[in-house]
Amino acid sequence: MQTLIKVENLVKRYARRNPAGGQEELLALDGVSFEVLAGSTLAVVGESGSGKSTLALCLACLEEATSGSIWLEGKDICKVAEKERREMRPQIQMIFQDPANSLNPRWRTLEIVTEPLVLRGGISRDEMKKQVYALLGRVGLPAETAKRLPCELSGGQRQRLAIARVLALEPKVLILDEALSALDCSVQAQIANLLMELQGALGMTYVFITHDLGMAAHLADEIVVMNGGRIVERGRAEEVLREPREEITRRLVAAVPRLTRSPLAPIGR
Amino acid sequence: MRLRRSVAKWLVVLGVLHGIVVCAGFFAPYDPAEQDRKSPYLPPMRVHVVDEEGHFHARPFVYAFRLRQGTFDQYEEDAARSYPLRFFVRGARYRLLGILPSRLHLFGAEDLRIYLLGTDAYGRDQLSRLVFGGQVSLLAGLLGAGITLSLGLCIGAVAGYYGGWRDDVLMRVAELFLALPWLYLLFAVRAFLPLTVRPLAAFFLIVAVIGEVGWARPARLVRAVVLSAKERDFVRAARGFGAKDVYLLRWHILPETGSVLLTQAAILVPQYVLAEMTLSFLGLGVPEPVPSWGNLLSSLQQYSVLVSYWWMYLPTLAMVPFFLGYLGLASSLQERGPAYKIERRSLGSLT
Ligand SMILES: Nc1ncnc2c1ncn2[C@@H]1O[C@H](COP(=O)(O)OP(=O)(O)O)[C@@H](O)[C@H]1O
Ligand SMILES: [Mg+2]
Repeated sequence: MQTLIKVENLVKRYARRNPAGGQEELLALDGVSFEVLAGSTLAVVGESGSGKSTLALCLACLEEATSGSIWLEGKDICKVAEKERREMRPQIQMIFQDPANSLNPRWRTLEIVTEPLVLRGGISRDEMKKQVYALLGRVGLPAETAKRLPCELSGGQRQRLAIARVLALEPKVLILDEALSALDCSVQAQIANLLMELQGALGMTYVFITHDLGMAAHLADEIVVMNGGRIVERGRAEEVLREPREEITRRLVAAVPRLTRSPLAPIGR
Repeated sequence: MRLRRSVAKWLVVLGVLHGIVVCAGFFAPYDPAEQDRKSPYLPPMRVHVVDEEGHFHARPFVYAFRLRQGTFDQYEEDAARSYPLRFFVRGARYRLLGILPSRLHLFGAEDLRIYLLGTDAYGRDQLSRLVFGGQVSLLAGLLGAGITLSLGLCIGAVAGYYGGWRDDVLMRVAELFLALPWLYLLFAVRAFLPLTVRPLAAFFLIVAVIGEVGWARPARLVRAVVLSAKERDFVRAARGFGAKDVYLLRWHILPETGSVLLTQAAILVPQYVLAEMTLSFLGLGVPEPVPSWGNLLSSLQQYSVLVSYWWMYLPTLAMVPFFLGYLGLASSLQERGPAYKIERRSLGSLT
C-alpha cells in the first residue's frame, strides 16, 4: 500500500480576543506529522480540546493551516491557490459529529443529497434523481425519507444521510469527526458496520476522529493519540490499547467502558 | 416554519388596513383633490338612524349643514333636509390599483356631498384625502424599508462573511450612521434641492433619502446572523462539496437572516411612514395637492386651525391602527425568533 496523505509539521494558531481586550494566541495544532496509507483507517484519539477537529478542518481544506504541509497524491494542499483548492475539496470529505447541525434544517433529504451532485455538475436532473435514490438505498435509507426534513429523521438516519451525500462525490478520503459520538450504542454499531462495508467496497481512506479509544481500536489500523495540539503516541491499534506508553493514553484506555465493546465485537477484525 | 397565531392575527389586521388603502378609490367617496369652495372647514357629518321625531330608519341618513344664525363659520344640522346613505354608488372616476377605470364607490348620497371626517380649508373631503394619502405614505414607508433592508442585507453579509478590514470599515461607518442626527440632515439634504419639484420626483427623492438613512441597524443584525451561520457545519459541508462564496451566501447563509429582516421590516415601515409625515408636515415632502398623511396634518401648523377645527386631528386617530398593527407584528415576530431557535437546538441534542 502506498501513502495517500502525508502531514508534515502542521501548525494552526488561532488569534482570539481575551476579555481584557488584548490579543491572545492559541496553538490548536503544534507541529503535527503523520502518514495515512491508501485504503486504511487512521484513528485520531484525544480528549476534548486537544485539537482533533482543527486537524480535521485543516485536512479537509476548510481551515487554512498557519504553517506546515499536507501532501495528497504529491500535491501540497496548503500551498495551492484558492481556486485549485476548491476543486480539490470534493476529494476529501467530512462527516460531522452532530448531523442535526451538518444538514441544513430547512432542506429536505432529496435536496440535501442532490446538493453535491449539483455542485459537481455534469449530469442531467433525471440522472441526479436516479443517483440520489441509489445512494439512499446504498446507506440503508428507505426511499420515502426523500421528502422528509432532517428533524423528522432519527439520529442514526441523519448520519446515514450525511454519509449518502458525501458518497455522491466519490471521495478518496473520508474524515469522520466524532461521527459516532452523538449516537447510542446499537446505532453506533450499525453505522460503524456501514462504514466498514463502504470502505471495503469503495476503497476509501478513513481518518476516524474520536475520544473513544475502544471504538478507535476496533475500527482503525493505526492510532495516533493527541494532547494539547501534539501527537504524543502512535502505533498499531491493538498495541496502543494493550500497552499504552503515555499517561494521557492510559487515561483514555481507562475511560473505555468495558460493556460497549461487546456489541461492537463483530466489527473487530 | 409554522406561523404563530399572534403573527397571523397581526398579518390579518394589516392586510385589511392595506386593502382599504390600496382600493382607496372605492372606499373614498370623492376625488381627494376635488374642492368644494362653498363649504370650507365643514365639521364631520353624523350618521343617524333615528330622526328628530324619534322614528327609526333602517337606512342610515345624514342631515345637511346650515350656517348658524349670526356666525360665518359655525354650522348646525338642518333637520328639514335629510339625505339617506346609498351604498355602491357611481361617483367620481378613479383607477383601481392605478389601472382599472371605475366609478363605483362604497357609499355616497344623492344631491349632497357627505363629509364623514369633515373638510379642510378648500372644502376637500378629509376622509378621501386620508384614504388616498395612505397610498403615498405607506408606499413611501414600504419602499423606504425595502431600500434600507436591501442595503443592510448586502452590507451586513459582506461584513459578516468576509470579515477582516471590510468588516472593520463597514462597522465603523455603521456606527457613524447610527450617531448622526438624521432628521436635521434630512432637512439639509432637502434644502439643497430646488424648492419646487414634480410630485413624483419629490416622492422618490424622499423615499431614497429616508431609505438610505437606516441601513446601519439591520446591517449589524444581519452581520451577527451571518457570523454565526457561516460557522455552522452545513455551511462547512457545502464548502467541502466545492461551493463558492456566492452559492453559500445565497443558499445557506442568507436564508438564516429571514426572520431578522422580517422583524426589522415591521419596525421600519411605521418609522418611515412617520419620517415621511414629518417631512410633509413641514412642507418638505410630497407637494400639494397630492394627499399624504403629512400633508393632511400640515394645516395643524396654524394656530387658528389648531383651536377651532378639532376634526383636523381625526386623521391622526385613523393612523393609529396602522402603527399598532406594525408594532404588534414586530413584537410577535421578535417573540418567535428565540423560541424558534431553542426549538431547533433542542431537536439537535435529542439524537
Ligand atoms: N475558530 C476558533 N477560534 C479560536 N479558537 C479555536 C477555534 N476552533 C478551535 N479553537 C480552539 O482550539 C483548541 C482545539 O479545539 P478543537 O480542535 O475543536 O478540539 P477537539 O476537537 O479535540 O475537542 C481548543 O482550545 C479550541 O478552543
Ligand atoms: Mg471536536
